[in-house]
Amino acid sequence: MSQLQARFFTEDKRYIVDDVPFSIPAGSEVQDLSNVINKLLEANNASHSKVEFDFLVRGQFLRTSLSIHMDTEGISTEEVVELEYVERITAPEPEECMMHDDWISSVDADAEWILTGSYDKTARIWSVEGKAVMTVAGHTDVVKDVAWVKRDGLTSLLLTASLDQTLLLWEWNSERNKLKARHCCRGHTGSVDAVATDPTGSKFCSGSWDKMLKIWSAVPTDEADEVEEPADRPRKKQKTQQLGLTRTPLMTLSGHNEAVSSVLWCDSEEVCSASWDHTIRVWDVETGGMKTALTGSKVFNCISYSPLCRRLASGSTDRHIRLWDPRTKDGSLVLLSLTSHTGWVTAVKWAPSHEHQLVSGSLDNLVKLWDTRSCKAPLYDLAAHEDKVFCVDWTESGLMLSGGADNKLYSYRYSACQTDAGA
Amino acid sequence: MEESSSSSTRSAAQTHKIKEKEPQKGGKKRTKAEEEEEEELFNFKSKSTEEEEEDEDLSDSEDSIFSGLEDSGSDEDDDDEELSDDGDEEGLDDGELKLEQTQQIGIETKKETEETGETEETEGGRTEKAKQEDEYVHDSSDEEDIRNTVGNVPMEWYRDFPHIGYNLDGKKIYKPIRNKDELDDFLDKMDNPDYWRTVPDKQTGSDVVLSDEQVQLVNRLQRGQFGDANFNEYEPQVEFFSRDVMLHPVTNRPADKRSFIPSLIEKEKVSKLVHAIKMGWIKPRRVEDDSRGRYYDLWANEDSSILARHKMHLPAPKIPLPGHQESYNPPPEYLFTDEERALWEQQDPCDRKLPFVPRKFSSLRQVPAFSRFIHERFERCLDLYLCPRQRKMRVNVNPEDLIPKLPKPKDLQPFPTTQSLVYRGHSGLVRSISVSPSGQWLASGSDDGSVRFWEVCSSRCLKTVQVGGAVKSVAWNPNPSVCLLAVALDSVVLILSPSLADRQVVLSSERLLSAPQEADANEGAGPVTWSETEGEELNHGIRLKIQHPKAVQQVSWHAKGDYVASVMPDHSSNLQVLIHQLSRRRSQNPFRKNKGLVQCVSFHPVRPYFFVGTQRSVRIYNLVKQEMTKKLQANSKWISSMAVHPGGDHVICGSYDCRLSWFDLDLSTKPYKMLRHHKKAVRGVAYHRLYPLFASASDDGTVIVCHGTVYNDLLQNPLIVPVKVLRGHEITHDLGVLDVTFHPTQPWVFSSGADATIRLFT
Repeated sequence: MSQLQARFFTEDKRYIVDDVPFSIPAGSEVQDLSNVINKLLEANNASHSKVEFDFLVRGQFLRTSLSIHMDTEGISTEEVVELEYVERITAPEPEECMMHDDWISSVDADAEWILTGSYDKTARIWSVEGKAVMTVAGHTDVVKDVAWVKRDGLTSLLLTASLDQTLLLWEWNSERNKLKARHCCRGHTGSVDAVATDPTGSKFCSGSWDKMLKIWSAVPTDEADEVEEPADRPRKKQKTQQLGLTRTPLMTLSGHNEAVSSVLWCDSEEVCSASWDHTIRVWDVETGGMKTALTGSKVFNCISYSPLCRRLASGSTDRHIRLWDPRTKDGSLVLLSLTSHTGWVTAVKWAPSHEHQLVSGSLDNLVKLWDTRSCKAPLYDLAAHEDKVFCVDWTESGLMLSGGADNKLYSYRYSACQTDAGA
Repeated sequence: MEESSSSSTRSAAQTHKIKEKEPQKGGKKRTKAEEEEEEELFNFKSKSTEEEEEDEDLSDSEDSIFSGLEDSGSDEDDDDEELSDDGDEEGLDDGELKLEQTQQIGIETKKETEETGETEETEGGRTEKAKQEDEYVHDSSDEEDIRNTVGNVPMEWYRDFPHIGYNLDGKKIYKPIRNKDELDDFLDKMDNPDYWRTVPDKQTGSDVVLSDEQVQLVNRLQRGQFGDANFNEYEPQVEFFSRDVMLHPVTNRPADKRSFIPSLIEKEKVSKLVHAIKMGWIKPRRVEDDSRGRYYDLWANEDSSILARHKMHLPAPKIPLPGHQESYNPPPEYLFTDEERALWEQQDPCDRKLPFVPRKFSSLRQVPAFSRFIHERFERCLDLYLCPRQRKMRVNVNPEDLIPKLPKPKDLQPFPTTQSLVYRGHSGLVRSISVSPSGQWLASGSDDGSVRFWEVCSSRCLKTVQVGGAVKSVAWNPNPSVCLLAVALDSVVLILSPSLADRQVVLSSERLLSAPQEADANEGAGPVTWSETEGEELNHGIRLKIQHPKAVQQVSWHAKGDYVASVMPDHSSNLQVLIHQLSRRRSQNPFRKNKGLVQCVSFHPVRPYFFVGTQRSVRIYNLVKQEMTKKLQANSKWISSMAVHPGGDHVICGSYDCRLSWFDLDLSTKPYKMLRHHKKAVRGVAYHRLYPLFASASDDGTVIVCHGTVYNDLLQNPLIVPVKVLRGHEITHDLGVLDVTFHPTQPWVFSSGADATIRLFT
């Protein structure tokens, strides 16, 4: 067995070892290397308890034996190999399973509450512990997307988008557990599939099957906007059906040729939308114009943006998760492609606190935890679902959520390394 | 010494003279040569005699000779005569009888030889005498006889004269007086014993009695023997030139100088030849080409240039070259083992792999004659003669060249490749599916009596409508401004308003359905009853019921969305196709005649044409002119389905005999291309609205997606490439995929199967 010269280093202050080259067997795997580090640490510090490490060779996770990895990556074995080691990300532990009455179409969670939209035409509010708190019923059709707008003490604003072409802005008081529909946002002529609130919580954007993006004001008022009604329309009937005051969009962004499947705010002035017309478009909310368009070759189901690494992750119908740089001018530059799913990628979400990690859900019933430094294989497969996964979310408190067609919302506790947080 | 040298010179002079005479004498040459020969002979003879008599007559003869040459003594002749007489007389001393006899014989012979050889005789006699004196005396003819100077003339000329010539002095030599008559002669003959050897001398006219030696000589000559009795004819031969190299050369003559010097003549000749070669007058002899013609190469390939002359020449197949098995000493593995041999013997001669048994011989010498040689040659001849050889017009084409140059499927993307979603919910086989024009909804009709509406992107069944009968066909209204679905079941066509669209759209479709019913007046006459639904059915979205007289198999919308055609296959009726107008609630039967069992109908997407697929053909009718414009022959037994290209110029037909035929309407009424990729009956075909794709569904459980680019250029034929076989449906009750349809905007294909599922391939 041949030997390699390797030097270990880490960013983690707790696990620093001497900066000297070691000769290690070329065929050693992650576990062997991890044992080596642990031995070294024990030699330094008798009170060291065993920690599992992962290793990075030139920014790529080591997944096979060292020699094979270096062979495939084309790294010379003659020189001293720089091996970075990080504490291994432990597997997300499944915590709660929240049963719904119907398929879960969407989920949005913050530190305290979980909001889910379901195909039973309702949205639900859950506590983080998995307790059903509130059922938001009001839509006449399937709730396709939900979003928290703002939390102001005990009062929260939340949004539900539905297939009945409307969005509802609700006001929910968590203490009294009172829910009130404040506004009914009308204007779309197709099923509203996506909604996203801006970072300030004053505006939100919706994307619909009618190919339009609309920007709305998220500030609840007591006055209804004027709606042009057709003359022959039976006005009375409408009034009785309506929940809350009618609200009209501030702005309509049109440009997509197909249904809009996902929207998000990059920052307070930029909206990004993914569509079935194989493009991701970045819009300027101030002017209402399109800034850039990223062209793919397949339908985009979902996008997610990470302010940490300023990358856009997209899930599309060809099983790939692609990473984009939304600021590129030339349009279609795929930085990286993460391929492991075997079905459409229906949901993708960046980790809020880690610049390399993201989670994805697919129609192949799997939720996968990825690290962009290991693009060939995901870190973990979360195979809890028995049917299609439609939505995933990741809270800053380290909770991962996924819901799908098996009516279950799973939550996983993800033990983010303290050192990694904010890295 | 002097004498011999002089004699040699004389003889040389004599021969020279003879040579000079040759041209003069001409015809006499022969006789002259003979004479000389005889003369020689006599000379030999005379020599011998001379030597005997030398002692006696030496001086005389010398004298006479010299006198004859130098000074001609008058008495010379006499002396000569006297001498001869003397000689005779001396001889007579020995025996007179002899002389007489010879004289007598001489007389006789004289008579005999008077005509022929008189001169010779005389010559002989004369020379004889001359030689007695000196063998070199008469080297020339002039000096032949010095006694009589008349020369060599016939003596008859002197017959009438008293003399016979002249002597050297010019005096007449008189004939001896012969007064003997015949009686005397006779007596003399009787008395004289030497008569037979007495010979008259012509020159002198006297009788000469031949001596014994002379008689012997004559006898020998007459017998053809050599004149000299002592001459040994059979002396041992000395071989001068033999194979033995002798010590001494044959001639001791030194080699000539010229034999050491290059010959000038030769040099001249050579230079002439060289010049001629240089000038090209002489060409070097051509080297005979041995390669062709002399030997026939049995194994050679026949020359194609020769074959070209005989157009239909068919070379006889060559006998294969003998292999190791035919060897007299084959390697041991070729020899038969006992079992092989037994097998060989058991086998029928025609079944044997080898026509002989390989045998081993220690040397070629021991190989026996091949007993079957004649037989085999005969068989070969029979083969060549009886088996007709015919020229096969075989085309040497690489099979790969026959495969049309098609682009790779990879280059023809996008097209559906993998199964993405399965729409589960039906409990019976799903006969028909249809996608809404927006691409958001999918409607399916099943044998379980329900119509389901699915959300395409999530495979969620949002709505189920129980229609109370096996659904044969569903069709979404292609007009995007209305949202209606036509459903065919049993003998009813239902118009459903699923209200899955914008409120405006739903309203406009409501408006279309609740149009003024002006057609009520002739409603009774028509075969069709229109009725609005109520209560429960209305709540489910069923808006209109169009009751047909017979079972409806298929419904098909016009692109504008106002007309819907329904098909009621029937062999015996002309009422097979009905076209309904929704806005006026009117139905009409466009055909008066039954042209065959109608399978499927379709409207032209742009122009007022109507496609009617019957069992074997597709008829295209112009709806405005109300006439048939074209009839497409499908070359298949039973058309099952039909789809019209969104451009309207191409039609594909699936048939129950596993074929898919593509028609180019501008090209021909025959199929432009037949695709036989399916193993079982083709149940459904579909075109994509935007992408150059078409698909066919078959009972073998597969959907085959083909790329079909249609060019605007009329000269360019459509490019049809099968790109993908999509599998997923399970075959239940021998039925596989029943219907296939494309997503209106994405390159996705939906298929519905007998396994009660609908699948989406992307």
